Amino acid sequence: MTDRRTPFRSPWLAPAAVAAAVAMGLIAQPLLASGEGSDLPDLTAEELVARVLEAEPQAMSGTVVHTARLGLPDLLFTEASGADPMSLLGGSSTLRLWTDGDERARVSLLGTMSEYSVVADGTDVWTYSSADDEVVRYTMSDADRARLEAMGEEGRAKALAERAELPTPQEAAADALAKVEEHSSVRVDSQVTVAGRDAYQLVVTPDTDGTLVDHVVLAVDGETMTPLRVQTWSTQDETAPAVEVSFTDVDFSAPAESVFEFSAPASATQRDVVVPIPAEGGEMPAEMPAHEGEHPEPTVHGTGWETVIELAGVDVAAMLAQDPTAMGGMPEDFTGSEEAEDLMEEFKPEHGAGGMDLDTGALFEQLTAEVPEGRLLSSTLLSVLITDDGRVLVGAVPAETLRAMA
Amino acid sequence: MSRARGSFGRLLRSELALLFGRRRTLALLAGLAAVPVLLSVVLFIAQGQGLDGQGPGFIGRVTGNGLFLVVAALFMCLPFLLPLTIAITSGDTIAGEAQTGTLRYLLTLPVARTRLLLAKALVALAFAAAAVLVITAMSLAAGGAFFGLGDLTLLSGTTVSLGDGIGRMLGVAGYVALSLTGLVAVGMFISTLTEVPVGAMAATVVVSVVSTVLDSLPQLAAIHPYLLTHHWFDFAEFLRIEVDWSVLASGLLVQVGWVAVFGSLAWARFRSADVTS
Repeated sequence: MTDRRTPFRSPWLAPAAVAAAVAMGLIAQPLLASGEGSDLPDLTAEELVARVLEAEPQAMSGTVVHTARLGLPDLLFTEASGADPMSLLGGSSTLRLWTDGDERARVSLLGTMSEYSVVADGTDVWTYSSADDEVVRYTMSDADRARLEAMGEEGRAKALAERAELPTPQEAAADALAKVEEHSSVRVDSQVTVAGRDAYQLVVTPDTDGTLVDHVVLAVDGETMTPLRVQTWSTQDETAPAVEVSFTDVDFSAPAESVFEFSAPASATQRDVVVPIPAEGGEMPAEMPAHEGEHPEPTVHGTGWETVIELAGVDVAAMLAQDPTAMGGMPEDFTGSEEAEDLMEEFKPEHGAGGMDLDTGALFEQLTAEVPEGRLLSSTLLSVLITDDGRVLVGAVPAETLRAMA
Repeated sequence: MSRARGSFGRLLRSELALLFGRRRTLALLAGLAAVPVLLSVVLFIAQGQGLDGQGPGFIGRVTGNGLFLVVAALFMCLPFLLPLTIAITSGDTIAGEAQTGTLRYLLTLPVARTRLLLAKALVALAFAAAAVLVITAMSLAAGGAFFGLGDLTLLSGTTVSLGDGIGRMLGVAGYVALSLTGLVAVGMFISTLTEVPVGAMAATVVVSVVSTVLDSLPQLAAIHPYLLTHHWFDFAEFLRIEVDWSVLASGLLVQVGWVAVFGSLAWARFRSADVTS
């Protein structure tokens, strides 16, 4: 029957052995990349926070996976074509990051056959969407540039950080750490391995029950004190983090110069956007820049995690018609979490022309629910209430809180 | 030993000549070659009609730079046309010989069954390579003729020289060809199970379609990275500013796993099978 004696009793043992080897390879692979237990020296929570805040920004590059479980309808993500920041609102997205640890960085959101890149070089920020073949150049007015120069290093870094449009573990961590001092308690959790690096874990828990954020877990590289993973857990879902942004591989060597260079492709359409920067210090700009002066000042209720922003005189109809001035008065930095801002950003028409590709009106209907006070959007980390009399309330708080305030 | 090697070489050559001498094979390759030509004719006629920029991002760019035709054509062929042609050739390897009754004569050659299977596999792989090569070469030719070749704008917005661009396109083609090896192995295994080649061909197509369907279900995200077709479109990596070789390597590693499992299954089946026809 067989033409030669086989070394195996049955030839079928060979595929069985191969299959077993392949299966073992599959199992071993993720175990190597991440796991529990490492032997970094013990630190108290306070020491860890201090060291993270003191840490020098590192030159690095790596791959970041962003996973959102905000409980929003799927419509949002299936309709967005190509690599679009909107896809960050649901499911998993892969980003790639390069930074020189100073003012230059490139972050790319990868789509199957597309890419959305943000290239920052100091005050100049470029975005390029391969799906639309469009370049947007964000610049500052001369006054803002002068103001920025006058700022201390810290304020300068803060102002620049707010201009980045794609989430990275660094940004998410900075956001959580900003609330550590006054509004949260911190503790150290067991050490983990993230992206093949030994890391400390810091758990930031809001002191209040009045927010949708249950706790935030930061994994911080033991050597460089760079945030490698940030998980934001919602009170609404105890099984998985509502938003997780994590390096899957990371390299702390200086990236090639070429990745920080950007020149607009010849074929691309280009538009320039002048971005106002918030004033130094406070969460809110002390005064809105002159060209947005006709808009009402937002009112801030509460502090820290419970902050709710109220904006009066918003013309929802105009907003849906993508009138760029309708929500122009919305401050850049106003809510409890990074993700909340991203979400809100989607409803804020882009400065200048253009805007979303989607039918905004239909999207609005789909996303929001009718309540006695107006229309309500609730996700696991953010609630937005748009009242019939033209006020918008936004906060990382339960929907009931907003309705009670309306 | 040298006699054995010589006879293996002869077998391989005759199998190659048999496959590429077949009208069916030539028709399949001609069909694949027609895709980039048709695509460029359509885009050439349609350009300037206000439809620019529609469809997958890079298809609209073909009119600006013929180099993109390589990506566009492979993108169009990869979900179905390439798997279909690969299924036809790899599903036919053993079952085809069994059906025409030539398999037992083939087994009388002074060549061990393992080597016969290896020769058949190499020929099936050669077809996969030829299929991708034909699409790539025709794309470069048609793209150059209709739209001209120029400096390549990557998905990241960076523009690289034409030479670099052609190199990246060849990288895309190489990755696509290697991505198809797993499907060739699956087709070979199914082909050893039956004496009805059409059944083996259909089953192989079904495997690739089912894999694509499973890949589109978010509930199965845990198994996605190991699916046969999941990494096929990772060739886009060649169009990014820094090619992340680890992404490409992990895609190819999955193919290695499929080839190892289904190659060894085909070997076990073919080695122990009774050949009666």
